[in-house]
Amino acid sequence: MFNKIDPKKIFEDLTNTQVWRSMFRGGTWKNTSRDRAQHILGNVWLHLHPARIRRRAVKFTYTWGLGGLSFFLFLILTVTGIVLMFYYRPSPELAYRDMKDLEFVVSLGQFMRNMHRWSAHAMVLFVILHMVRVFLTGSYKTPREFNWGVGVVLLVLTLFLSFTGYLLPWDQLAIWAVTVGTNMASATPFVGAEGPFASLLGVGLKNDARFGLLGGTTVGSATLVRFYVLHCIAVPFITGIFLIIHFWRIRKDGFSAAPIENEPPQQKVEVWPNLIVREYIGAILMLIFLVGWSLLQNAPLEGIADPNVTPNPSKAPWYFLGLQELLVYFDPWLAGVVIPTIIMIGLMAIPYLDPDANRGVGFYSFKERPFANTVFLLGLFAWFVLIIIGTFMRGPNWQWYWPWESWLTHKPPPPPTTVMPLAVGGGLIGLYFTLGMVLPLLIKYQFNVPSTVKKILAGSILLALIIGVLPSFSFIKGAWVGFAVALYTIMGILLPSHYLKNISRVRYVVCMALLLMMIGVFLKVALHLGFNVKYIVSVPQVSFNI
Amino acid sequence: MSDTTEPSALNQPEITRRTFLFWGWGAFLAFLASSVGSVLRFFLPNVLYEPSQKFRAGKVLDYPLGVTIDKANRVWIIRDSKGLYGMWARCTHLGCTPNWFPAEARFRCPCHGSNFSAEGDVIAGPAPKPLWRVQVTQTPQGDLLVDKAVMENRPGFRDKAPFFINV
Ligand code: FES
Repeated sequence: MFNKIDPKKIFEDLTNTQVWRSMFRGGTWKNTSRDRAQHILGNVWLHLHPARIRRRAVKFTYTWGLGGLSFFLFLILTVTGIVLMFYYRPSPELAYRDMKDLEFVVSLGQFMRNMHRWSAHAMVLFVILHMVRVFLTGSYKTPREFNWGVGVVLLVLTLFLSFTGYLLPWDQLAIWAVTVGTNMASATPFVGAEGPFASLLGVGLKNDARFGLLGGTTVGSATLVRFYVLHCIAVPFITGIFLIIHFWRIRKDGFSAAPIENEPPQQKVEVWPNLIVREYIGAILMLIFLVGWSLLQNAPLEGIADPNVTPNPSKAPWYFLGLQELLVYFDPWLAGVVIPTIIMIGLMAIPYLDPDANRGVGFYSFKERPFANTVFLLGLFAWFVLIIIGTFMRGPNWQWYWPWESWLTHKPPPPPTTVMPLAVGGGLIGLYFTLGMVLPLLIKYQFNVPSTVKKILAGSILLALIIGVLPSFSFIKGAWVGFAVALYTIMGILLPSHYLKNISRVRYVVCMALLLMMIGVFLKVALHLGFNVKYIVSVPQVSFNI
Repeated sequence: MSDTTEPSALNQPEITRRTFLFWGWGAFLAFLASSVGSVLRFFLPNVLYEPSQKFRAGKVLDYPLGVTIDKANRVWIIRDSKGLYGMWARCTHLGCTPNWFPAEARFRCPCHGSNFSAEGDVIAGPAPKPLWRVQVTQTPQGDLLVDKAVMENRPGFRDKAPFFINV
C-alpha cells in the first residue's frame, strides 16, 4: 500500500536524482548563505551577478534598476518580435494587410503588436534614463570608461532598432520616416550623393550610402526586405554582441560603481535574495504596466503607404523629433549626420576627458562635478526642448503653432531667410572658435561662479531690453541676443576658465572644441529663429552649408 | 674604402623571417580589406526593378494655367503665360512630397517646412536647392512626354528646352 503522500519528501527525492543534479548543481536547497551564493554562481542566467555586493549598490534610488529594466525590455521585444514574425510578410503588397490581420483576425495579434511597439518606446526612454543615471553618479569613470563607450553604442543601436522597425508596417508614417531617414544618408559627406564633396569622389545616386540602404533609388520592396532583415536579424545580432560585452565588463568592474573607502568588504550583502528580488519586482511591475498600457492603447497605424501624399504635418516618433526639429535649422548633412556623430564621439570621449577619476563616483552630486554635470544636462535639456518643440509646437507645413492654438488658424507663411556673405560668415565662425579657445586661458582672474553668473544674466537681460526698444529691432530679437550673450559668456568662457584651464592641453582643446560646437548649435538656432539667417557659410558648389 | 663589400646574391639570405611575415600579414590585411569592400559592393544592386521614369502625360494644350498635380507620376505640370514645364514633386530637402497652396502661390513641405515658389526656388525653410525640373517634350501629335530621369534646376538652363515648352 502507498504511504501518506509527503510533498516535501517527493521534492527531495526528485532533487536527488541523477538527472536533476546533472542540471542543477548543489542538490537540495537549504537556504543557507552558501546555498544562496551557489545559486548565483551556478546559474547561467544569474551568474552575471557577483555573489555579494556593496550594500549601497542595492539601494533602489541609486540605480533605479534602469539598466536591468532596459535589458528586460529588450527581452520582451525579442519575444514579441519573434511572435509577430509568424504573421508578417515583408512585401509592399502584403505588409500592411498583415498589420490589419494582426488587428482583426489574429488572436491577441493587436496586443502583441502593442506590446512590441510600446516596449520599444519604453526601451528608448529607459536606455536614455540609464545613461543619465550613470553619468550623474560618475559611474563612467576609471575603470569603466570603455564600458561607457559600449553603452553609447548601445544607445545608438537602440535608436537604430526603432528606426529599422519603423518601416515594417508599411503605413504612411513608416514610408515617410524612412524616406527622410535614408535621404539623410544621402546627405552624408563624401559617401552620400547629395552630401558635400561627394561629387569630387564620383559618388552618385546609384552608388551612394542611400542606394545601399534602400536597395534602389526609391523606397520599395527591396527596401522593405532590407529593413526587415536589419530589424529582425542584423541589428539585434550586433546589439546582442555589444550587450554581452557590456554585461561582462559590468561584472568584471565590480558591478555598480560605489566609493569603496568607507565600506569594509564584510559589509557586503548577498545578491540572492537582496538584489535579485528587487530586480524581479521591477521587471514584474514593468510587465504589468506594459500589459495594461497595451490593453488600453493601440499602437499607431496610419493609412497604407502612399509616396504621392505626405501627411501634413509629418512627424517622426518622439525620440526622433529632436532630430527632425534640428533639420529645420541645419543642412541635412550637418543635422542628420555630422551633429549626431559628434554627439556620439563627444559622449564616448567624456571619460577620457574627465581629469579627476575619483571625484564624485557612486553618488549623485552636483558640488563635486559642477562643470561636467552642467554641460551634460544642458545637452540633454536641449535634446528634450527640441523634442517638445517638435511634438507640441509644430503644425501643418511644420509651422509654429502654440499648443493652445487650433491648427486651422491661418498663419502667415514663414518669412524669407538670408544667407550671410561668405567673408562675414567665415570670419564670424573663425572668431567664435578662436575667442572660445583662447579667452578662457587668458583670463587670470578667479571668479566667484554663482555671483558672476548672476551678474552676466542680469547684464544679458538688460542688453535684451535695450536692443528690444531699438527701432527696427523687436523684443524677440533682443531676447535672442541676450540669450546668445549669456550662453556664450557663461558656458563658453566663464565656466571653462574656472574649471577647464588646468587640465592637460590636449584635453582642453578637445573639450573646448566639443563645447563650442554644442553652444554653436544653440546660437545657429537663435540666428535662424530670431534673425531668419539660413546659412552662416554657404559654398553651393560642393553643397557645403553651415 | 676597400672593406665595404659588395653584397653578393649568394651570402645574403634570400628572405628573412621579418620580411616574410611583413608580406604575409600585409597580404592577409589586404585580403580582409578587399573582402569588406566586396561585401559593401554586394549591397549595391546591379539591376533595379523600378518603374520607368518616362511617361506620357496627356495633351500639352489640355493643361490649364497654373499648377496641375499628377499624383500617379509624382510630378507637377505648371503652365504660365509663356509656356509649360514639369517639376518633380520631391522636396530637395529630404524627399517628402510638398503641397501646392494656390492662395499663397507656393509649395510647402510638411516635413520640415520648406517653401518653394511656382518656379521651384526656395523661399523659406531648410531646403538647400531649388526643386528639380524634369524633361518635357512634345510629340508631333501634341502629346506631352515627361522623363523624370533628366533633371535640371539651374536658373537659365531650366527655362529652355528640353525643360520648357513654349505654348
Ligand atoms: S523634406 Fe521637405 S522640408 Fe524636409
